[in-house]
Amino acid sequence: MTTQQLRPIVSVFPIKGKVKTIKQVPLPSVFSAPIRPDVVRFVHTNMAKNNRQAHAVSTTAGEQTSATSWGTGRAVARIPRVKGSGTGRSGQAAFGNMCRGGRMYAPKKVWRKWHRKINTNQKRYAVCSAIAATAVTPLVMSRGHRVNKLPELPLVVSDQLQSLTKTRQAVKFLKFIGAYRDVEKVIRTKKTRVGQGKYRNRRHVLRKGPMVVYARNLGIKKAFRNIPGVETASVYTLNLLKLAPGSQMGRFIIWTESAFKLLEDIYGSWEKPSKFKSGFYLPRPVMVNTDVERIIKSDQVQTVLRNRRPRSRKYGKKIQRADPYEDMSVMLKLNPYYKTKLQKQKELEEKNKEERKEIVDKSRKEYEDWLYFSEEEEEEEEEGSDEDREIEVLSDEN
Amino acid sequence: MSKQVPETIKKQVKRSFNSKEVKKEKNEKRMKLLKEIQTKAFKRAEKYEKEYLEQEQKLVELKQQALKEGSFYREPEPKLAFIIRIRGIVGVPPKPRKILQLLRLRRIYSGVFIRLNKSSLRMLHFIDPYVTWGYPDVETVRALIYKRGHARVNHQRKIIDSNEMIYDKLQKFDIVCMEDLVHEIYTVGKNFKHANSFLWAFKLKPPVGGFSTVKKSFVNKGEHGNREQYINTLVKKMI
Repeated sequence: MTTQQLRPIVSVFPIKGKVKTIKQVPLPSVFSAPIRPDVVRFVHTNMAKNNRQAHAVSTTAGEQTSATSWGTGRAVARIPRVKGSGTGRSGQAAFGNMCRGGRMYAPKKVWRKWHRKINTNQKRYAVCSAIAATAVTPLVMSRGHRVNKLPELPLVVSDQLQSLTKTRQAVKFLKFIGAYRDVEKVIRTKKTRVGQGKYRNRRHVLRKGPMVVYARNLGIKKAFRNIPGVETASVYTLNLLKLAPGSQMGRFIIWTESAFKLLEDIYGSWEKPSKFKSGFYLPRPVMVNTDVERIIKSDQVQTVLRNRRPRSRKYGKKIQRADPYEDMSVMLKLNPYYKTKLQKQKELEEKNKEERKEIVDKSRKEYEDWLYFSEEEEEEEEEGSDEDREIEVLSDEN
Repeated sequence: MSKQVPETIKKQVKRSFNSKEVKKEKNEKRMKLLKEIQTKAFKRAEKYEKEYLEQEQKLVELKQQALKEGSFYREPEPKLAFIIRIRGIVGVPPKPRKILQLLRLRRIYSGVFIRLNKSSLRMLHFIDPYVTWGYPDVETVRALIYKRGHARVNHQRKIIDSNEMIYDKLQKFDIVCMEDLVHEIYTVGKNFKHANSFLWAFKLKPPVGGFSTVKKSFVNKGEHGNREQYINTLVKKMI
């Protein structure tokens, strides 16, 4: 992975004296493995089944009678009943899972599948994820470890730790480095187990404290053995059940310097395979750069995108519109010529009206004239006054 | 001190296609276009008024001429029909049902324009009992498109709000305004197909005053089938 060519540096601390960096060591590639809680959960739930002991119910339990059903016609249920007489047990129901003293439903067998096989690569993937998670402070804190006072996470300490022999020395070291708060938590919260485990030799429940990982045991195992909550482990055999107890990633780990360096060899990197696990390379993440927002907003992406199509507000909402034949403004928006058209029509109408009026007047006059002359003829016979008639004719015209 | 603006946001604003200047420019362009469209609309409407008038007058002239000569003037067969579906959906046999679907007459009192040719006349023959149709005049076409004209825009039925709507869709067919659309439909021009498919099928109201009987053909004092020019009065009642 090109991102890993620049590896961050981790400080190595002494085990006594002053808490300051005595050396700097590059971070092994494992710590950049993808953190996959789903893989860890799957592997953990199956791995946890592997230290189970078989248990079962006795094969003969509930079957040690010679009970037979009484059949029908006796006003009792047809369940097999214990033979004989002279005892309370006789005539009682037997054999069924619903019967008192009967065998259970589906009696448990020892040949139940207790252990689970997990693919080696999956197991290794889970361990890599879990180790990577131990370097992520929020994860370690969310697991419940008290890591506020630590100088650094991952916490790497000089190899002298491996040579400690006395528990007193070990405790002194933990206090020196700021890890004792986690141990105090463990001591404080020691409780009697809830449930029947308490009388099955599992009386007390302890939290998990720091885990000390070493490369060579030169006494360190015994030194830390009696401190409540603290576990030790060899870097060659890191156990997922300890790295992610309860499939919760982020155990607080104290590494010795050589153990820390060995991680690069044990788990390899993306370029170099592991020296101890043949053919094993570190798992590759699905995304190298998970800052999706930043990727999207980067210049490289943005310059290649097409324009955002504008929300067509023209046609967005349902447009209500008045009837153009009733609302002139709507009509004019659609047909700007409409007003002119109406004007022209009006002019034409008026022109026609005038023309018609002329024609009508003309014909009317002709009619009146004809009427006048014919009446005049009659008048001459009847000796009527002309003036009166003329006035009448005038009034008709108006 | 002033807040630090994240670089990604700064870059985004710079690149933004919605920045104020861009918006302003776009708006100006749009206003200019709208003005152009309206001036075109004015001129074309004027032109078409003249054209329709001339057509009428010509027709009259030819008829009069024929009368004078003592012969007959046969008017050109109508090119345009307006069909209205007057029967409902229930119990329609498959062939007429399919034809009604093809003509976009999917519900009662829906209307469409159709170009009349041999094939479409054959189609109309099949669906006669379910529709009434005739030859609309200019005013009917106008009224339909202005009052009840909806456009098919983005697979949606939108009322024709402005000439811009028509311009956007039909500009490439040289149809730019309402009057253009009316003209294209009425005279069944080259781009009749596009103008017609731009229009959603008309949704008309049941006729004021009602029908006599839809079961009989128009010819038999009923309502269905070809009613030639009387479609105009019917549309007035249904618009």
